Amino acid sequence: MAANFQHPFQCLQFVERPSANLLVGSAGSKLYSYSAETGQQLATWPQAAASSDGAEAQSEQGPPEKKRRVSSGSRANEASFPAGQTSEKSQAPPAWSNIPILTSTSSGEYVVALTAEDKCIRVFQLQEDGTFVQLSERVMHKRPSAIIITSDDSTILCGDKFGDVYSLPLIPGDEPYVATRVPRGAKLSQPAATNLTVHTKGNLRALEQQQRLSSEAKAAEDKSGLAFEHNLLLGHVSLLTDIAYVSLPVDASSSKKRSYILTADRDEHIRVSRGLSQAHVIENYCLGHTSFISQLCVPHWAPEYLVSGGGDNYLLVWKWAEGRLLQKVPLVDQATEVAVHGIWAASFGDLRVVFVALLGSSCLQCFTLEADGTLNSQPHIQLSGNVLGLTSIEKDNTVLVSVDSIREPDSTQEWRVSPPSPSTVIEAFRVKSGTSLEWEPAATSVTETINSTGTSEVPATTADKQRKELNDSLYNLGHLRKRKGEDE
Amino acid sequence: MTPPPSKRQRRDEYRKNATEAISAKPDETAAVAQVVKLPKKKFYRQRAHANPFSDHQLNYPVTPAHMDWASHFPAFVNPDAAQTNLIGTRKLLKDVEIVDIGCGFGGLLVGLAGLLPETLMVGMEIRVSVLDYLTTRIQALRAQQHQKLQSQSQPASTTSTPAAPTTDVDTPSEAPAIPEPTAATDLIPGGYQNITAIRSNTMKFFPNFFNKHQLSKIFICFPDPHFKARKHKARIISETLNAEYAYALRPGGMLYTITDVEEYHHWILRHFRDETALFERVPEEELEKDDCVQVMREATEEGKKVTRNKGNKYVAVFRRKQDPEWA
Repeated sequence: MAANFQHPFQCLQFVERPSANLLVGSAGSKLYSYSAETGQQLATWPQAAASSDGAEAQSEQGPPEKKRRVSSGSRANEASFPAGQTSEKSQAPPAWSNIPILTSTSSGEYVVALTAEDKCIRVFQLQEDGTFVQLSERVMHKRPSAIIITSDDSTILCGDKFGDVYSLPLIPGDEPYVATRVPRGAKLSQPAATNLTVHTKGNLRALEQQQRLSSEAKAAEDKSGLAFEHNLLLGHVSLLTDIAYVSLPVDASSSKKRSYILTADRDEHIRVSRGLSQAHVIENYCLGHTSFISQLCVPHWAPEYLVSGGGDNYLLVWKWAEGRLLQKVPLVDQATEVAVHGIWAASFGDLRVVFVALLGSSCLQCFTLEADGTLNSQPHIQLSGNVLGLTSIEKDNTVLVSVDSIREPDSTQEWRVSPPSPSTVIEAFRVKSGTSLEWEPAATSVTETINSTGTSEVPATTADKQRKELNDSLYNLGHLRKRKGEDE
Repeated sequence: MTPPPSKRQRRDEYRKNATEAISAKPDETAAVAQVVKLPKKKFYRQRAHANPFSDHQLNYPVTPAHMDWASHFPAFVNPDAAQTNLIGTRKLLKDVEIVDIGCGFGGLLVGLAGLLPETLMVGMEIRVSVLDYLTTRIQALRAQQHQKLQSQSQPASTTSTPAAPTTDVDTPSEAPAIPEPTAATDLIPGGYQNITAIRSNTMKFFPNFFNKHQLSKIFICFPDPHFKARKHKARIISETLNAEYAYALRPGGMLYTITDVEEYHHWILRHFRDETALFERVPEEELEKDDCVQVMREATEEGKKVTRNKGNKYVAVFRRKQDPEWA
């Protein structure tokens, strides 16, 4: 029998902490933490077996009332997974198959993760020993598609499939939440239509029936919205794909800063709104893409610039506060249909680097971003599998890249015949000292340890249907592209 | 024996002929005798709803600077041919200032055209057939005005006078309730050169057409009420969309709404209230002096229908305030 595959890291994040730095990642349905110095695996979540320390999940609310599609095919219990309960319970497979979003606060104390199928935003406290302690779980109505934490580590911004952006406090208050205003979908006690507004026979009959029903009994069901503090900040009428929260100084001389929310959607728009309390004031739009936008990247060392990419075969560089397009950077030579999977920025000493990975590509493109906002192409990095995630350790001039060890390089569908040997889920590169940007393999002991420990296993015997589901959970940007169809 | 042409076939034929008749007109000076006909609405019916969330095959500019307005407003093209926009079409002498969101068959635009002859107005409509009708209608109105002007300048020619009865026959079948009173008889200031219509989904693509603070008035007349609570997200008025209207409206600009659904009226009031603080409601006294409100009440097709059915009309008008100080 062939050896089993390893779940690749869908997200990877270097977490800088006062004591010991950590690496956290999500692979399959689990979170993992590693020591950044040695690569030793410290903890996983949810824990496989009953071990009572850590992971004291407090269920904040009952199971969501809506039925969910569980793509793994398992009808898992819907509650959270508090460790230390019966081993039977903790061994039930979780209600989600993957964790597509993982981010950490700038202090490194908290980690926010989104579990896919149950649409649940989970906040964890990272312990000294790397264990995850779940503080809250908040189930959203619509599937979140982008989650970030504001720079002051106090608020989560969550953009969803319906184009709305909500703010949630990172740590919910102690008081039980009381809805302060009528939610948008508030149930009407009376039909809004009257015989003055509908006229056709069928509509009148329907109205009559509605009026009878509403007079018979008030609907018992009360879908009062979300049972935790949340604010609707802004909305696009389109799938929201990415958010950035940026602060800029008011002018060159003053130290006062203004915060902005940048949001991107499937309909080619990048909107620049004011920060939290005034998000309804739109400052401008950055328009120029002709296909969906999947990634926004505002480098922390040059917050006035924005690099955006998506279904177009180019990147755009913006002076976003003015809505001004600076540069169009081609990504591929010929006109092929590509999608930008990730854009990451890092500064290594004087080198200001922007990394770009296309969807289902094992080539990591590198650019340098100059002080005037020009993006210059640099030699790329070739990896052993498709690039999935990237995190940089700037003090070591190092990047860690998570690669797909299941699928053939440069394919989103074809599985390898057998897993690579040695198993590779992560690779590291360091900037070679010198004036130009060159890379050499780095931190071999860390990556070797992580790679040899592995994540959870994917059986080589996985059936085609499950394979396809696994493929789609990692490579789903294709759904954003508009199809030319019938119209009228 | 061949069966009679199907409804669709007749419709397509009619539309084709209507478009051709109008586009041919300007060249044929000999045809002055034949007055341009207005299109008949019955050949352009379409179901009243469209899903704003689906990907229609829409054409929209990448940015407002990529919009070809010249083809819509030939009378307002900048005479300097060197003045072009980002896709190389001629610029206009002025910007579009008034938008009718969900303009339908265009009653409001036609009503406002003569009232504000020097202001460029555009109606936006998501339904293809309805837009076809309106485009043909505007072309026909322009052609009629053109003819009228010519016949006035040559008073000796009397060829156009007997034409008046023909136009009466051409008015839509709902003619008693929807008169086209001024159409062929009066000269309208501006000659309908200042109105046009575009197919678009404004919920998605409003910022593709208009720059920040470009507009002075936005009209939202008898919007689709989307009665079911689970469809409320599809309403054209919501907190989140109001932000986009505020972006395109200049401070002091007005947003007009009218509906015959009382619940929707309260919905509108609720969603323009305090929290955004970008709009303030315009008091009733002021509205009485506003001709635009009169047109909105009486000239729109839906407004006439509501009158016919003895329904109520609820008007709410809001003024765009200055942006608040940065918090």
